[in-house]
Formats: sequence, C-alpha cells, structure tokens
Amino acid sequence: MNTKSYFFQSFAIVALAFVAFIGFKQILPDKIFPDSKVDSKNVLIDSLLLESVANDSLALKGGNVSENEKKEAGEKITFNASEGIEFPSETFENYKGYQYLISFYDKLYELEKNPQAKVRIAYYGDSMTDGDLIVQDVRSNYQERFGGSGVGFVPITSESAASRASVKSTYSKNWKTQSYLNVKNPASPFGVNGHVFFANNKANTTWVQYEAGLNKYATTLENPTLFYGRSTRKGNVNFIIGKDTLRKSLVPGNLVNTLKVTSGSIKSFKANFINSDSIPIYGFNFDNGSGVHVDNFSQRGNSGLPISMFNANVMQGFNNNLKYDLIILHYGTNVLNYGTKNYSWYEKGMTKVVNKIKESFPGVSVLIISTADKSTKYNMEMKSDSAVVPLMKSQKRYALDTESGFVNLYTLMGGDGSMVKWVDESPAKANKDYTHFNQRGAKAIGKLLYDQLNKGYEQYKVLRENRSTDVNKRKTVRKTNTDSVSVTKDSVDE
Amino acid sequence: MITIDSINNWFVQNFGEVTLEQAKSWFIYNPEEKLLFNTGLFLGLFLVFYFVYAFLRKTFYLRLTYVILFSLFFYYKSSGIYFLLLLLSSVVDYGLSQIIYREAKDSRKKIYLVISVILNLGLLGYFKYMNFMIVTFNDMFHGNYQLHDIFLPVGISFYTFQSMSYIIEIYREEIKPTKNYIEYLFFVSFFPQLVAGPIVRAKDFLPQIYQKLNLTKQDVNNALFLIIGGLIKKTVISNYISINFVDRVFDTPMNYTAFENLMASYGYAIQIYCDFSGYSDMAIGIALLLGFKLPANFRTPYKSTSITDFWRRWHISLSTWLKDFLYISIGGNREGTFAGFLFPSLFFFGLLLWGISNVNESFIPLGIAFGAIVLFSLTFLLSKKRHQTLVTNFNLFTTMLLGGLWHGAGAQFIVWGALHGLALAVHKMFMEFFPSKKEGNGSNFLWTFFSIVITFHFVVFCWIFFRARDFETALQVINNIGQLTFEPEQWQTIVSGYKNVFLLMLFGYVWHFLPEVITSKMKFVFDKTPLIGKAIILGFVYWIVYATAVAGSQPFIYFQF
Repeated sequence: MNTKSYFFQSFAIVALAFVAFIGFKQILPDKIFPDSKVDSKNVLIDSLLLESVANDSLALKGGNVSENEKKEAGEKITFNASEGIEFPSETFENYKGYQYLISFYDKLYELEKNPQAKVRIAYYGDSMTDGDLIVQDVRSNYQERFGGSGVGFVPITSESAASRASVKSTYSKNWKTQSYLNVKNPASPFGVNGHVFFANNKANTTWVQYEAGLNKYATTLENPTLFYGRSTRKGNVNFIIGKDTLRKSLVPGNLVNTLKVTSGSIKSFKANFINSDSIPIYGFNFDNGSGVHVDNFSQRGNSGLPISMFNANVMQGFNNNLKYDLIILHYGTNVLNYGTKNYSWYEKGMTKVVNKIKESFPGVSVLIISTADKSTKYNMEMKSDSAVVPLMKSQKRYALDTESGFVNLYTLMGGDGSMVKWVDESPAKANKDYTHFNQRGAKAIGKLLYDQLNKGYEQYKVLRENRSTDVNKRKTVRKTNTDSVSVTKDSVDE
Repeated sequence: MITIDSINNWFVQNFGEVTLEQAKSWFIYNPEEKLLFNTGLFLGLFLVFYFVYAFLRKTFYLRLTYVILFSLFFYYKSSGIYFLLLLLSSVVDYGLSQIIYREAKDSRKKIYLVISVILNLGLLGYFKYMNFMIVTFNDMFHGNYQLHDIFLPVGISFYTFQSMSYIIEIYREEIKPTKNYIEYLFFVSFFPQLVAGPIVRAKDFLPQIYQKLNLTKQDVNNALFLIIGGLIKKTVISNYISINFVDRVFDTPMNYTAFENLMASYGYAIQIYCDFSGYSDMAIGIALLLGFKLPANFRTPYKSTSITDFWRRWHISLSTWLKDFLYISIGGNREGTFAGFLFPSLFFFGLLLWGISNVNESFIPLGIAFGAIVLFSLTFLLSKKRHQTLVTNFNLFTTMLLGGLWHGAGAQFIVWGALHGLALAVHKMFMEFFPSKKEGNGSNFLWTFFSIVITFHFVVFCWIFFRARDFETALQVINNIGQLTFEPEQWQTIVSGYKNVFLLMLFGYVWHFLPEVITSKMKFVFDKTPLIGKAIILGFVYWIVYATAVAGSQPFIYFQF
C-alpha cells in the first residue's frame, strides 16, 4: 500500500480545479439552460400584448427619464370638487385618486343608509386573482360590512375552475370557448368576463354544474340567473335542481338576455343545454339582490389590453342588468417579462382600455391596481425585478390620466424586496415563483386593498358632512401643479 | 510583464471588487446565506483550511483542535450563536458518558442513561417540536397558547442522534469512551457530516481518530468522484427541477393538469433523492479528503425490489440508527413494551377521530381509518407466530412513526412514516405467505421489474405527503392525479414546455437506474485520468454549479387544453 501521503496532490487537484473553473467561466456562456420559447397553441399568451411589444421595439427608447421622473414624483395633484366634495391634494408619488371614486362612494353611502340598495364591483385581473384569490377576500370584507351574499357573476368554463373554492363548478368537455385573450373575431361578442361559450355538441349534452362553496356569505347559490346573447335561433335548457328538472327555453332576442333559474337560494344545480348551439352563453350570476357584490373576471396570461376589444353595446346590455359602480383593473404581472423598462406602449394601450370601460359602463368609477412586487435572480440573489417600479409608475400615470383611483400594490405590500420576504416568511404568503400569492398572502392582499378603499370611503364621509351647501361644480377636473418641491423617489433597482 | 496592478485588475474582473465589508461578511453569520458545501465561499475557505491541514497531518491534538475550530466556525456560519448550544450539549453528554462508563452498578448506569436521553431529546423536542405541539394542542382543545419564537439550529437532529449513539454505545459497552473531551468534541462537531449527516456512529468513527492519518491515491479518487456526483445531484438536478417545476405544482396543485401533477410527483422523488444523497456524498467525499471514512448513506434506493429493501438503501445511517437505538430499545422482535404500543395506538386512535369528525361530509376518511386498522391487524393475525409478529409490527410501526416525525414537525411526516410502517408490516406478511419470493430466490427478470415498479410507485406516493405543505394539499395532488386521462398530445405539449426540467429529470433517473457495471466503468476511467485531467473535470463541474446557480428561473407557462 502506498504509504506516501497524498494530501498535497489532493490539495493541488482542488486548487487547480479552481483555476480551471476561472478559465471555463471566461470561455463558456453564462447561461447553461437556454430560455426555451414555447410555441404552442396550448399556451396562454395574450395576443394583443405580443403585438404591442412587437410594435414597441420599433419605437424610440431611452431619453433622460430620471430627471423627468424626479419632477413627476413631486408633482402636485389637486382636485376640483365633485358634488361639493373635494379630497385634499396629493403628490404623484403618493397618488391614490379617491376623488375619482366618489360616484362609487356615493352608492356605498346610499347602501349604508338603505340596506336594500345595491353596489356592484367588477374585478378584472390575471393569474393573481385566479381561483378567486384576493377577490373573494375583497368580497367578504365588503359583505361583512355592507351586507350582501353570493359570489357574483361566474363564467361557464375556466381553466382555474378546479382551484376556485368560493363556488365549485364542473362542466362537460364539449363546450366551445372563445377568449378575448387569443381570439380577435369571436363568433358572437364577448361577454362581460371576456369570454363567450357555445354548447356546440349535438351528439352529447353540453352541461355545466355549480355547487356553493364554504366561504362565508356564499354558502348557497343565490337567485341563479343565466346570461346569454343574441342569436337567430331559439334553444332549450334543462335545469336540474335536486330531483326536479325545469325545462326552460332560451329566447335570444336582445344583445344580452337573462333567464332566472329559480328564486331564492339553492345548494347546487346542473344546466343541460339542448339544441342551443348557435346561442352565445356567458355565465351565471349569483347574488341576493342587495348589499355589495363583487364579480371576479380573472384570466391567466392577461395583460389587460384585450379589454379594449369589448363591444360597448353588449357591455351596456350587461350593465343594464348588473349595474356596475366600480370597475377594478388589476394587471401587470404578464407585462413584466419582456426585457423592457419603457412602458409607454402599455400606458397608451391601457388608457384605451379605461376609455372603453367608461364607454361601456357610463358613470362608473375605475380603480387601477398596480403590479405587485416580483423577484428575479440577479447574480445568484433574488431581488425585486428591475421592471416592477417602471411598470408601477406607468400604471400610476394612466390611472391619473384617465381619472381613475389607484392602489400602489407594490408599496402596499412593502416595496423593494417585499416579495422575497413574503415567500421566505414562515408560514409563507407567496409561492416559490416569487410572483403569485398563496391563499394566506391573497387574504392579506385582499385586506390591504379593502383597507385602502375603505380609508377613502371614511374620508369621503367626513368630507360629505362638511361640504358647503352650494354644489356648483359637478364635474371633476384635474389640475396639475409642477412647481412644488420634490419628494423621495421610488427606488429603482438597476 | 505581470505587475501587481494587472493581477489586481484580472482579479477584479473575475471576482468583482472585494471590499473590507465583503471580506467581513465571509466570517459573520448571515441567516440568509448558509455555508453549504456547494457555495463558492465554502470552496474558498476549504482550500485555505485544507492547505494548513495537510501540514498538520503528522500532529495529533494540534490537528484535532484545528479541525474543531473550523467545525465550530462552520457551525457558527450556519446557526449563529447556537454553536454554543452544540458546545453545551457536548460538555453535558461527555460528562454523563464518563459517569456511565465508571459506574459499576447497572441500575445507576441506567439512571444516568435515562437522564442523558431525556436531556438530548428534550433539547431536540424544544427546538424542533415545541410549536408543533402547541399548534396541535390548540387545534384539539381550542387552546389559545402563544407560539414561541424558536430558531431551529441547523443539524440539531443529526448531532443529537450522533451524540446519543456515543452514550448508548458506552452504556452497552460496545465502545470505550474517548480519552478526553477534545477527542469527543472532534467526533461530535466534525464539520463534513455536522449539519446534514450521515449520522456517524461512534464505534465506526472513534477508532479512525487514533489511526495514523493517511490518504491514498485511491481515497482521493473516491472522494473526488463522490464530490463531483454530489455537486451535480444537489445543485444541478435537485435545485433546478424544484424551483422551476416541482415547487410551483405543489404550491397550487389545482392550477395544474393531472399530468403536471403526476410529473411533479416523479420530479419530487428524484429531487429529494438527489438533494439528500448528493449532500451526503459531498460530506463523505470531504471527510475522505481529510482522511476519514464515513459509511455510505444511499445505495440507489429506487432500485429496491421491496419496501424492506428500500429502507436498507435509503438514508442508511438513519435507518440503522433507528433500528439499533429505537427499535431494539423498545423491544425489537423480542418483547412488547409500553412505548412500542403507545404510539401506534395513539396514531390509530387519532385516525379514527379524524374519520368520525369527517363523517358528515364523507365516509371515505372513516373507511380509510378502519381499513388501516384492519390491515395492520391482519399483518399479525394472519401470521403463524402471532404474538411475536404482533410485537415486532408494533415496534416497527413505532419506529417508522417517530422516524417520520424526525424529518420534520408536522402531521404529514407522521402520515408518511405510518404509510411506510404499514407497508413494512404488509411486506413481512407477504414474505411469510410467499417465502419463495424472497430476494434472489427464484426471482426472474419480470418479477424483479414488477417489484421495482410497485415499490417505486409506493415510495413516490408517500413522498406526496412528505412534500405537500399540508394534508389538504397532498389530497389535492392525489385527487388531481386521479383525473389523469390518456392524452398524448397534451402530454407532449407539457413536456416541450418544461423541456429543461424534464430532461434533467430523465438524466437523474437514467443515472440512478444505470447498471452498476457502467458506473464502475466510469469510476475506473476517472481513476486512470491524470491529476491535471481530474482537476479540469472538477473545474468544469464547478462551472456547471455556478452556471446553474446564476440561471434565473424559467418564466411561467400556463397551458390551456
């Protein structure tokens, strides 16, 4: 046996390996795993987003942004009174825009005085609100305080139906679904949730079944009502409730038609669609007729831009039935990953979206919720993605430009580096993808959102009490004032 | 000409500017950055440490003290001030072991042993299980006790067991105590296996301390081969597939298709094997570089033909520890003891309660509870040696329950242990009925293949409970997999979406199931490679580790089908 000690040779190998590593590091590429682009019809990608990004790469980039941004941050925003109520001025930095939520607050106030009144909120979002995350918490916070029960409008099929606990829905596989995410010219106009469904199969019945979940204020299905669109031919639907079958006919005369399944609350039912293949089906609404109702219109992969394709007439048809008071737009996650920090294209696109919303739902208040924090690996360390702050700012800009309220979710959840904390915390509040919240985190976010909205409402009530009797100015106009001092800037992680 | 400036420039270019602040951070505890074997910092520190170590090879106490200091520093880097806990418990254990050794009276020896076991398990219990117990108590009796803010010192489960093995072996007179505290502390704090095993037994390790320190060429070859394999398994396969796929699916299983859930379960099986065995291999390799031979900890466990076989190949140092010190202590296959009956009874009682409390919603939980009890009873009722089998199975079940709990404080770990315990008992019964199926006995290829597939899938099924955040999530994954239908086109799309992940999984499994002939051929070629060649290979592996570490995670993919 070799008695000579081999220690120094062994040391030499490890040390030489280190030198070899330095060499390899210089010649070999940085990335070992190529970013594979998935090209498949089965991957959910927002086609309008792809177009906008492609157009953007042609446009000029850069410019000295930071100087302008500093100025912008301190920009003073004052409001003109609306019905005698004028919120104090704000800075761009801390912009919340409660002033633009007054019509919503009016309705809440009315509801507080008269419990039979109704307030309705549509919450548009992406995968962050999939499975009714966040939205169900906003909903229950409102229903806890102002009354109301039911989960609101629920589409027929959804890729996240299985993960939704607030209402369980199952459906036959033979529904033909068209989504505003990747269809430009649908066979019939999209519904309020951006989808249209067709019971397309004549050989087998096309069905959908709903069962109430266990959430507080949603333990039953309240006044289930079917929403469907216009067609030249009639159809039938069988509602199966327990052992009873109710056969009803669909009369698709208007742009938007409704059919009440039954009055009152039931635990579950099934709907079989018969000979109704040409009729656009939109979904079911569940609400008890009073209090606050919040509809979740989430769509994975959505940037928000597809809303601009809405048919305003159809939306007005929905609005005549549902009467929206507040539209929430919660987007951003899906526009973070395109290597750009210049979001002027997105700002432009979303401005169009808000205008479309205002056209579709006249007089409604709009609330923009910014992107949440998201982390990316920089040099082996997870940090806030450098695109988060630029995106959040652009979202704030189009909120301000379109006279919408604004929730800065990024700062609300803790600002720079907060997503890393939410993920690493025990118990964790966000998933390991450093993007999505889990149940626990979503609950916290829902509460934060509600609290900010509610803060505005409490302030509104005080202002309402104090308002002067002369209500001359009825329209809200924004004045900007750029000569005030600048406040601390949002941190940008470059 | 090479000037100091040019060296400096080259250095800055390759490593970035090193500030005083940074240099300080290398030596100060940072809870966010643990000192793992696969980090650059460890490599740097180890190189310096090893260079000096080579000069000290002929000394004895100087060398031991040197390694102890490095080990304590290593532990401090992972757990901060809690290295004092390690020191404290080592002083107490050393003292008690001396007393036990000197004590002539058996009854008194036993008392000291009990004191030491209570102390060790008490510490482990407080740090690891206190909050779990509070939560369980609060849930069961609607209590309102505040949780304690407890830091879990890294590796406490490992070094506690190692320390206990020393005392119990002295009590059983299997070993003699070390001559002094330094030697003992060297054994307990030896950094390669300190934080994640293998759990080294005193009787295997202590004799090596007294031998003349020697390192042969073959040792170095073995060590490097283990380290290379360990690095690839741990940092490339395990880390990549967990971040980019497995974690996502287990976070929200209902957001993924049945096929994705199934693949995530297979993915987790290879991930945990690569993670655990990879780190063990690195530990064994590093110990070997220092001249110490630690026993193998994993022997390609998924090649097992039965669940009993699995536990002879999976985390061997833990399973033999549990066998020698827990299973045998509570009676083994000889006698029934209170402890041996207590835990299984509590478990089955709890299972029944769970079944009854859910009866309003579904009869399935109650059915599962009854099924498990009947199955477990059958494993000894059907046996010819009924009493002995009963005792054995209860003790075995206890061992697996507590073994499950050792892995983490949570109900899902207990369920995981119970499933394995039940399977071991069933397998024993099976062996009694079909003795011909004993391994190697009249086994043909098809039967072996079938056994491996069944065993593997059972193990994967149990891993679901091990990995899931809670019981509910585990059931979601299982339910979701239950919805699997044959849709090759959909599968193909998913596979192409997660190409890197699935390739790595495939690589991991192929490597795992490679016949030993091929692995030993690879080893043979590596051994014959000249010194500089080995250095280049190792350097290349460093680069792979580095490139994987800096790789960002794959963007999210949502499929719609």
